[in-house]
Amino acid sequence: MSTIAIAHGEGNYLASGFSLWSWLTTLDHKRIAVLYLLSITLLFFIGGAAAALIRINLLTPNSAVVSIETYNKLFTMHGVIMVWFFLIPSIPATLGNFLVPMMIGARDLAFPRLNLLSWYLYVIGAVFTLEALIAGGVDTGWTFYTPYSTVFTNSHVFAAVTGVFIAGFSSILTGLNFIVTTHQMRAPGMTWFRMPLFIWAMYAVSLILVLATPVLAMTLVLMTVEHLFGIGVFDPGLGGDPLLFQHLFWFYSHPAVYIMIVPAMGVASEIFACFARNSIFGYRFMAYAMLAIAAFGFVVWGHHMFVSGQSAYAGTVFSLLTFLVSVPSAVKVFNWTATLHKGRISLEAPMLYALGFLGLFTIGGLTGLFLASLGLDIHLHDTYFVVAHFHYIMVGGAVMAFFGGIHFWWPKATGRMYSNRWASIAAITTFVGFNLTFFPQFIVGYLGMPRRYPEYPPEFQIWNVLSSIGAAILAMGYVLPLIYLYWSLRHGAAAPANPWDARGLEWQTSSPPPTDNFERTPVVTEEAYSYREGGASSG
Amino acid sequence: MTESHLASPRTYVISWLLLLGLLAVSIASAFVPLGAMNVAINLAISFTQAAIVLLFSMHLRAAHPTLHLVAVVGFFGIAILIALTLADVLTR
Amino acid sequence: MASAHSAFAHQFDDARQQREASQLGIWLFLATEILFFGVLFAAYAVTRINHPAAFAAGSRLTNLPLASLNTAVLLTSSLTMALGVHAAQAGARRMTVNWLYATVALGLAFLAIKGIEYGIDFKENLVPGAGFGYDGPGRDQVQLYFYLYYLITMVHAIHVLIGVIAIAVIARIASRGRYSAEYFTPVDVTGLYWHLVDIIWLFVYPSLYLVSRS
Repeated sequence: MSTIAIAHGEGNYLASGFSLWSWLTTLDHKRIAVLYLLSITLLFFIGGAAAALIRINLLTPNSAVVSIETYNKLFTMHGVIMVWFFLIPSIPATLGNFLVPMMIGARDLAFPRLNLLSWYLYVIGAVFTLEALIAGGVDTGWTFYTPYSTVFTNSHVFAAVTGVFIAGFSSILTGLNFIVTTHQMRAPGMTWFRMPLFIWAMYAVSLILVLATPVLAMTLVLMTVEHLFGIGVFDPGLGGDPLLFQHLFWFYSHPAVYIMIVPAMGVASEIFACFARNSIFGYRFMAYAMLAIAAFGFVVWGHHMFVSGQSAYAGTVFSLLTFLVSVPSAVKVFNWTATLHKGRISLEAPMLYALGFLGLFTIGGLTGLFLASLGLDIHLHDTYFVVAHFHYIMVGGAVMAFFGGIHFWWPKATGRMYSNRWASIAAITTFVGFNLTFFPQFIVGYLGMPRRYPEYPPEFQIWNVLSSIGAAILAMGYVLPLIYLYWSLRHGAAAPANPWDARGLEWQTSSPPPTDNFERTPVVTEEAYSYREGGASSG
Repeated sequence: MTESHLASPRTYVISWLLLLGLLAVSIASAFVPLGAMNVAINLAISFTQAAIVLLFSMHLRAAHPTLHLVAVVGFFGIAILIALTLADVLTR
Repeated sequence: MASAHSAFAHQFDDARQQREASQLGIWLFLATEILFFGVLFAAYAVTRINHPAAFAAGSRLTNLPLASLNTAVLLTSSLTMALGVHAAQAGARRMTVNWLYATVALGLAFLAIKGIEYGIDFKENLVPGAGFGYDGPGRDQVQLYFYLYYLITMVHAIHVLIGVIAIAVIARIASRGRYSAEYFTPVDVTGLYWHLVDIIWLFVYPSLYLVSRS
């Protein structure tokens, strides 16, 4: 009946029900992960379509393709969708949901019904936001700064913000589930410091999800109430403070960027260890570094506000703290490099993505230091330099790692092997396209081109054209996996339990796994990443 | 995390009386003009009341240390939010 | 050894793991509530620091006797809730149900008193917007005070209402004998939520009603 044949006949989680109803009412974390993957992929391409229109419009200096009003809506929807409906859920809700119980030897997450609820909340939130898009869009920027969002805009703020508000609860439930699961449901012998670093990453990210998202939720309430009733504490006309909104908004939204990158770090560790046949260098420092990033990430938000009216004193404090937050990230980059050093490297597709992550994250991170510096930020703030910086981290870093993770665990989740050749082509295409898209943006930003502007001086055109060409290549890099991964579901070779000869509990069960993950609860006796001791890799 | 002993109802009644007493103090002190001290007194009373509820009614005293951490982390986060925001507002 | 009430969900290994997971889960949820409300306090703090006289004036226009009574009501409901959880832990079904319904009654009383208070506020036109019934100095900023007043108390009242409904549901289930000394987690968890709603009010009350009474 289904043309997607299940690789191993009975007993696996894909075969436990074929009806739509069985999928929509599932409590199986693996199925919920698949539901999330399908949803966020759809939203990714919608957000990507907005980006495509932006880049097409920027081919010429005079905004020839869309009006200025439409352009404002395009970059707003691109940001809203990509941040809240793609990046934030991406690795945690797909790979995290699938792998957290498996990697610690559990049958499921602690609260399977909350897990399913979180997906429904995501979908409902997406519907509200897409309604805003269809009804005519929002033009405030994804940052919803007041008083424009509260007093002056006529666009569909309420629907979009309601969508984000609802999706926020999806985030909180995911984080809460992961924290409780990690504390309570590790298999015998799976001590905290034997856990894969991917679990540490999910744990660190869950701390941020649980602690930061409620602040966003109430901030959006404050903003929406003010928008609806015309009275509020952000309105300078009444004695309110528009900067108060920015403080509240960025208190969440800065940690949010760590929600987006820390999971990528977890994925990278798993892939590097496997494809360098090495244990991760400095495992404990890698775990502590992610916790430190999560913690420090809460005290740096003012670096988004250096030029919006914040006091010089506060700016100095935030600048100092921002430099500090770079340290644990740097530690991780050094440790990954050390992991690769003298490893037995093999360049399968997941490794190509992970290597891309490493280089691009490093560049993105270093450019963050430029922006953390008060004096430099005066020049660079709100230019394309900033746009390039965060895309290097979020796209060059997080999205590449996400794709790497998808490719790494695809055989496990689907029971199918894909074409490594096509996957490698996609990885390289993505890498080339990405750099061509975003490196020129560093240059044109430094030269002074502001962000969120549909028009620019003619001398900037060459950089914009290069960037747009890059975007087209990048788009190809993203479309290719859709094709060969789907092809693998229909024609791919059956995947063994451990096609990569990787370490980790998830590789010791069948591909695809049975509904309860393991035939019987595993007992852990090895340290993580026991690649060097010739540890057992069960087939 | 189940208590192996039952806290006696007396604990809850004493807590309740303490909380009402602190409520009375906060009202009384509001009628005394003490400037910034009024704010400090009110905050101190609120935190004391919160601690009583957390430790006794919410059984934190007998609970696993992890829960102690979870109980305070929310307050801590808000403290950071307010402190660093005020670091801006008060120095403009 | 295992009674019908100590069954546990299939993802858990035993009842103890389920119980501990529920405890950690509810406390994490309470932390999110503290952060959720904390934003309102942050907005309050900044706005009050910028406009101390207006906040003092606004606070003086609020109904201290009703709010103080309400605080006592809520504190008492916390007592009845704690006694309800205690009874559940002892396996005393009827006492559990009685204390839970007493808590519901007190919670409803809180909402009723709040409603009366709002009624008085509306009659005096203490509603921000056109026709705001205060003509003293700093009128705009006193409106900001009342904006926060309504927002904070309404968000809190919604949480009270949710709590009242939850406790009523739990009381009903308890009256059917579904809980025991081995398994009373839903009572415990609902109690924790209710106590948090109480704690939040203990910060709301002085912030709104005790700014300046001297």
